[in-house]
Amino acid sequence: MTISFKEAVFLYCMKQIQNERSIYSLYHLFQGKKSSQTIQDAHLFRLDPFFQSYPQITREEMDHIIGVLHVNGYLHSISSEYYYLTEKGEKIVQSQNLISLPPKYLQGWKYHQITSVFWERLSLLVQVYSNLIYQNKGFIPIHNKPENLAWIKNYIKMQTGKRFELANDLYTELINCFQQDENIDPAVLTLRLTGHNKIGLTEGQAAEQLQMDSFHYHLEFLNILHYMIYISTNQYSKFPLLSGIIGNKPQTVPLTLSTEKTLRLLEKGFNTNEIARIRKLKESTIEDHIVEIALQVNDFDLRKYVSFEMEQRILTVTRETSAKKLSQIREKVPEANYFEIRLVLARNGGRPWN
Amino acid sequence: MELEKALYHYFQFTSFRQGQKEVVESILRGQNTLAMLPTGTGKSLCYQLPGYLLEGKVLIVSPLLSLMQDQVEQMKSMGEKRVIAINSFLSPAEKRKALSNLSSYKFIFVSPEMLGVDIILNKLREMTIALFVVDEAHCISQWGYDFRPDYLKIGEVREKLGAPLTIALTATATKEVREDIVKYLQFRSWEEFVFSVDRPEISIGIEILGHKEKQQKTLELVQKIKGPGIIYFSSKKLAESMAAKLRDQGERVMAYHGGLDTESRTLIQQQFIHNQLDIVCATSAFGMGINKDNVRFILHYHMPLQLEAYLQEIGRAGRDGKESIAILFYSPGDEQLSLQLTEGELPEKEQIHHLFMLIQQQNLKLENIHLESERFIPACGFSETQWRVVESFLASMQNENVQEVRDQLLNYVTKRIRLKQQKVYRVLDYIQHSGCKREYILDYFDDQGSSAKKNCCSSCGLALEDFYGSKAEEMEPNLRYNWKKDLASMLIKQVGDLHEKRPIS
Repeated sequence: MTISFKEAVFLYCMKQIQNERSIYSLYHLFQGKKSSQTIQDAHLFRLDPFFQSYPQITREEMDHIIGVLHVNGYLHSISSEYYYLTEKGEKIVQSQNLISLPPKYLQGWKYHQITSVFWERLSLLVQVYSNLIYQNKGFIPIHNKPENLAWIKNYIKMQTGKRFELANDLYTELINCFQQDENIDPAVLTLRLTGHNKIGLTEGQAAEQLQMDSFHYHLEFLNILHYMIYISTNQYSKFPLLSGIIGNKPQTVPLTLSTEKTLRLLEKGFNTNEIARIRKLKESTIEDHIVEIALQVNDFDLRKYVSFEMEQRILTVTRETSAKKLSQIREKVPEANYFEIRLVLARNGGRPWN
Repeated sequence: MELEKALYHYFQFTSFRQGQKEVVESILRGQNTLAMLPTGTGKSLCYQLPGYLLEGKVLIVSPLLSLMQDQVEQMKSMGEKRVIAINSFLSPAEKRKALSNLSSYKFIFVSPEMLGVDIILNKLREMTIALFVVDEAHCISQWGYDFRPDYLKIGEVREKLGAPLTIALTATATKEVREDIVKYLQFRSWEEFVFSVDRPEISIGIEILGHKEKQQKTLELVQKIKGPGIIYFSSKKLAESMAAKLRDQGERVMAYHGGLDTESRTLIQQQFIHNQLDIVCATSAFGMGINKDNVRFILHYHMPLQLEAYLQEIGRAGRDGKESIAILFYSPGDEQLSLQLTEGELPEKEQIHHLFMLIQQQNLKLENIHLESERFIPACGFSETQWRVVESFLASMQNENVQEVRDQLLNYVTKRIRLKQQKVYRVLDYIQHSGCKREYILDYFDDQGSSAKKNCCSSCGLALEDFYGSKAEEMEPNLRYNWKKDLASMLIKQVGDLHEKRPIS
């Protein structure tokens, strides 16, 4: 009995969340739901690379995958939405040669806002340049969102070189970019590109051509896009054309709209209770927002909400017991409330514990 | 001769196709014109060329957003920049921008619901409309297979614009429908050009066979018959599974349907046009706005819902004028699926009641319903097609009384179902007709011109072997893919290619 790539990925994620979250937390993660809960969980369980990496997922598919893993003895169920890995499941996740997860460059959370824009613009750029150098005017743009078409017009206008050189430069940048890590397979991307003489492949066709499992291909495609974004933005002087595609699109992740409002009120000096009243929200909701802020805003001061000693005690407990379940931590530090524990975990969740 | 010069100047064609010249001349004489030209004969040239020769704007009303988008893109790819589409695809900001720059465009495409918006109409009234184009004009008639109630308003809009010179275009309209077009557009004088829907280069085959044989027959036929070709299905699932089976058989084939994401849809269409695919297993979503000359066969795995659609679909074969074939497979009982599909296209009673309950509860104005589609579609469980019917019906109403409108809609839906069912039975009749199939179709459109020919149809005699052939192009041996080479072939101009294409001066 072999396990599909997709099932293996979900098994890996199930291990990460242990039995502390329901299977639907993974559904929200892959779909990319921008709620405080999902964002915090993503960081807490170090699944942020997978954020919004499979937005097409449905609840039915989620149920189906878990069902298959359960029936085949990889998962043991606690209740209908909570599972833990059986020994058989653990073995799969640990076997190094089966999968290495997450893919090295996958940064779903960090790049989810620019991923598809980057791809659409890059493929348009290649198509337009390719047709330009071959003086071929009659072609149908492969992506036709008006904002992208307007962008590309502008982008080309702003370039000063000759068109032959531009296409050449883009070629050189792509080659240089791909060559920085020899474990990257550029075919994953180039098969999808459209030029003057050929139309790119669809996701399914490319997977078939490379003889890859379709979900594996799907993640590898995101992986290579994130790789390119990472390389070109970190060395933008070396990759002016590629980093120019992203331009000044926001790369840092903004807070959810509601949290943003809460932050503004906090900055004006209101406390949790007052903000809840002003915004006609529950105090616990405002606390959720503050946890999200702790996660996202590095210089946000926690001292107003949790003392230094308390933070240290909570950290010690989590380190010693590797407990991540809030109730387990609270048993060991009964003076701390859940809000304090969550804040501490949010601030320290994304980093190594020891 | 003058016209030919213009034709060459604007389109680089040296001669007109059948019918085009007469239609263009009629418009240039200042006559309102109704033209019925078969699919694939270059309808759009009939308004584009006079558009260029007339002083003022060309306003084109087009019912389908995807079709509109395709046409705009095609014109742009031909180098025409002064073209814009105003439809619900545009964001409010884009719409505002488009409207404030409207006078800088020559060709303005607009969806019928946008014509109901006052700001847009007023903007249009400020301009000189040299030519008013009603594309897919059969949508104006309730006898048409694709009736859109909001098309009924076009006549009124036309009056408001000062009754500009108008051309109504359609590929398939029976005599009744043509009469409706003239009536609703309020033509006082007009010229009518009805060109035969007959496409002599397309042979017509109907095969009646058992359910279980269908799949096997399809696999066999595709192996023998010369491509490229399109296979039409009524269900996405079957299109997918047949594509998979054909792929196993070594065919270059993809499935195409509305369930695919936009990127895949564009790629598959373009791959087919660029001969990277030989076969597309499609639902009726495929084919509109596709310009591919060398399609050699059309296979209907399921019966189409009306003869009008059938004619459009088989008309995608043989646009280069070369011998092609259209085959329809029918298994007894297939019409049940068609009848079900017909009903599914229209909103159900329960859905309508639920919608109007929500409208009454929330005290909404009927004229604003179309703005709330995102809310009502899931709330009432409408499919896109069903919602389009509701939306279009409401847009055509002026009545404020919610209850009355509801009852009218219910009544309307019942009538539409009956009409559509009649059309299904008409297709069935055609399939079972023992006489000449071509004559049957021509009769249906009150068309006289038919000519007996070799391989006319399965009733007159059809030698399928005549359409067999080696594969369109022998598949290249599956070389190892080299990404660097691929990238270079796209972005580095190869020296050997230099002489192939020179800039057109």
